[in-house]
Amino acid sequence: MTPLTLQHFLAVGGIMFSIGLIGFMTRRNLIVIFLCTELMFQGVAINLIAFGHYHGNLAGQAFVIFVLVIAASEASLALGLVVLLFRQRNTLDADAWRDLKG
Amino acid sequence: METLFSFQHAYLIPLLPLIGAAISGLFGAKYLKENSHWPIWLGVGISAILSIFLLLGMLAINPSPGSAGVSGGPSTETYPLAKSVEYFTWLQAGDPNNEGRPDQPQVVYGNPTASFHVSAGFFIDPLNAIMLCVITGIGFLITVYSKGYMHGESGYFRFFAYLGLFIFAMTILVLGDNLIMLYLGWEGVGLCSYLLIGYYYEKPAAREAAKKAFLVNRIGDFGFSIGIMLSFLAFGTVSYFGQGVGTHTGLLELATGTHLGGFQTYALKWIPFLLMIGAFGKSAQFPLYVWLPDAMEGPSPVSALIHAATMVTAGVYMIARCGTLFVGSAPAMSTVAAIGCFTAIFAATIALRQFDLKKVFAYSTISQLGFMFVAVGCFAPVAGVFHLVTHAFFKALLFLSAGVVMHAMGGELDMRKMSGLKRVLPITNIVILIGCAALSGFPFTSGFFSKDQIVGAAFARNWLLGAILLFTAFLTAYYTFRLYFQVFQGPLVLPATPAPDHAHDSHDHGHEPKDPGHEEHHNHEPRIMWIPLAILAVGALFGGLFNYHDALADFLSHSPSFDLAWKLTADPGRYAAGFGHIDASAPETSEQGLMILSGLISLTGIGLAYWLHLLERARAERIAAGLEPLTGLIEHKFLVDEIYQAAIVEPLRRLGGYFYAIDRFVVDGVVGLIAFIPQFFGFLLRITTERGYLQGYAATMLLGLALILILIFLK
Repeated sequence: MTPLTLQHFLAVGGIMFSIGLIGFMTRRNLIVIFLCTELMFQGVAINLIAFGHYHGNLAGQAFVIFVLVIAASEASLALGLVVLLFRQRNTLDADAWRDLKG
Repeated sequence: METLFSFQHAYLIPLLPLIGAAISGLFGAKYLKENSHWPIWLGVGISAILSIFLLLGMLAINPSPGSAGVSGGPSTETYPLAKSVEYFTWLQAGDPNNEGRPDQPQVVYGNPTASFHVSAGFFIDPLNAIMLCVITGIGFLITVYSKGYMHGESGYFRFFAYLGLFIFAMTILVLGDNLIMLYLGWEGVGLCSYLLIGYYYEKPAAREAAKKAFLVNRIGDFGFSIGIMLSFLAFGTVSYFGQGVGTHTGLLELATGTHLGGFQTYALKWIPFLLMIGAFGKSAQFPLYVWLPDAMEGPSPVSALIHAATMVTAGVYMIARCGTLFVGSAPAMSTVAAIGCFTAIFAATIALRQFDLKKVFAYSTISQLGFMFVAVGCFAPVAGVFHLVTHAFFKALLFLSAGVVMHAMGGELDMRKMSGLKRVLPITNIVILIGCAALSGFPFTSGFFSKDQIVGAAFARNWLLGAILLFTAFLTAYYTFRLYFQVFQGPLVLPATPAPDHAHDSHDHGHEPKDPGHEEHHNHEPRIMWIPLAILAVGALFGGLFNYHDALADFLSHSPSFDLAWKLTADPGRYAAGFGHIDASAPETSEQGLMILSGLISLTGIGLAYWLHLLERARAERIAAGLEPLTGLIEHKFLVDEIYQAAIVEPLRRLGGYFYAIDRFVVDGVVGLIAFIPQFFGFLLRITTERGYLQGYAATMLLGLALILILIFLK
């Protein structure tokens, strides 16, 4: 059994980011879009932790902790927004809000 | 003189009406409402009292007649009744201590270091003491009358605020000690005239008339302002008398100097003509008179105050004040006299066939102003000022009476539709008879004396001028009494219904009785309206006494403006070329004969009017029909308005149309093209990327990021 190396972690992070990106590009449901952004976000966070661990530097992990806390509060806010948007149009389809274009 | 309150505090005379106007204007709409006349009554009333005290104070000093200016010498003591007061420096440009060129210190032209100074100061002398009494005295009577006349109008406060502002501007005009102050008042009265003509701004005719008055006056003021500028260029000052009479620092004295420079002599040729254009505009003389008949769209008190008694005489005042600038130029004086004479007979002819009461009086005002211009143009400014005063009385009286008629007839002014009003309006009948008698020069009324002096002066200058004026006096007597006999005598005829939409004289109907049933008992002559009329009537009857034994001439000879101008005309060196001998101060000979002649002429005119318009009224129309092309032409006012419209207004309008097209399509086209380019690119982006799909934005971001990464890694 080969030991886990940096490349494994980076691969997982990259896969998560790509899944999130593909989901973001293809789905229309606001909640799923939001979920996908979180997924991309976590992929990036794993990257940070992996590099931090690899360099023997705790700053990366500490930084991720902070980012997670902020992401949590931001997620609650975003979900609230989604609820409000749903109440306005009775649908979660992002295309319902196309008229907001500039 | 120094101790006289009204003299020391002359600034109160314009200030009080201004304060009154401010109070009425600012608080009238919300708080004062129907009491808005009080600030103006108080302000103008106190000003009138101060003005009368000023005049009486001057009379009380009474220096021995003829002593003025005889001793000469650089001392203001030669004119004990004249004094200039500087309150503060209004405008100052350049170094005030600059001495200018040593050879000609005053000339500004080509002298870059010259300085420009205008003081906010007054020059008080007999001339403007008389003017002030006329303005504030008659102004006060008219404000009193206006309370009755304007009662219940919407914008009541506005009317009184404008009146106060007008009195302020007019007193500034006559009090100012320099041409810029004169110009300030000049424009101020023009503004108030505009505002008050357009008082009934809901009516298109009133708006048009206001605009016309303003625009026609612009033409005159253009010449006037250039005249002021040229005066400054030539003499380095716009002040009448500078630091005092005798110091030779003021414009009017410098112009009398014997050693004028080349440019100054040249400028003196043009200054009177330029100033004259302004006077012709403001005083409604021939080429520029067209605004005054239309100005009758304003309320009657306005016609009386502004367009008969005061503002339109500003031109006469200006020429009298700047006499020394004018008398030096023979062509200028001849032009003033000729234009005045032509205007007098021209307007009198038009008045013959007008049927609107106020229009008749308006043309008569133009004609009488022509008389005043003849007077100042014939070296008889005293006669001009005398006629100005008497005319102010009787013409204000006539306009206010016309206002009473209009009130009683529900806005109707067409004299063909009314007759025998003496039964309905007994008091007005008496006062308008007095006014008509004075206007037509009925013997021993005020107009008789003043007109006679002008005619005398005109005969002394040129027999043709005098003859035309005499004939004009005959026409005046005829058209005045034509109106009187038609409207006030004969069988009682009232206009059937108050014409609601008469083309040009549906002045206002807001003051008709609300309930038709009350009309019979409605008092058409409330006391507040007939008392001012009665006072004016006394003035119109006995105003001739002002010049009893040439008292007015003696009094005015203490005004430096007059005295210097007389001295200049008496200087043979300056006049050899122009006129030969001119006896300005003493046209005594044959005065008795002339008086009898002009009295007879006036009576003949009245008799003719009696014969044509009271004995058998159809006769006048028969004669008029016999002279068809002529009477038609007169009825259409010699088509002057139409000619102006076709020759000046329409070409200008077409030119304006071209400019509009150039602006619209060429200038705006280029600007629009420049604005279109970014718009076009924005449009391209809008239909390609910015379509509102969330995924689209994400893809754009992704592509951008990818592009950046590729660029970084390829490098």
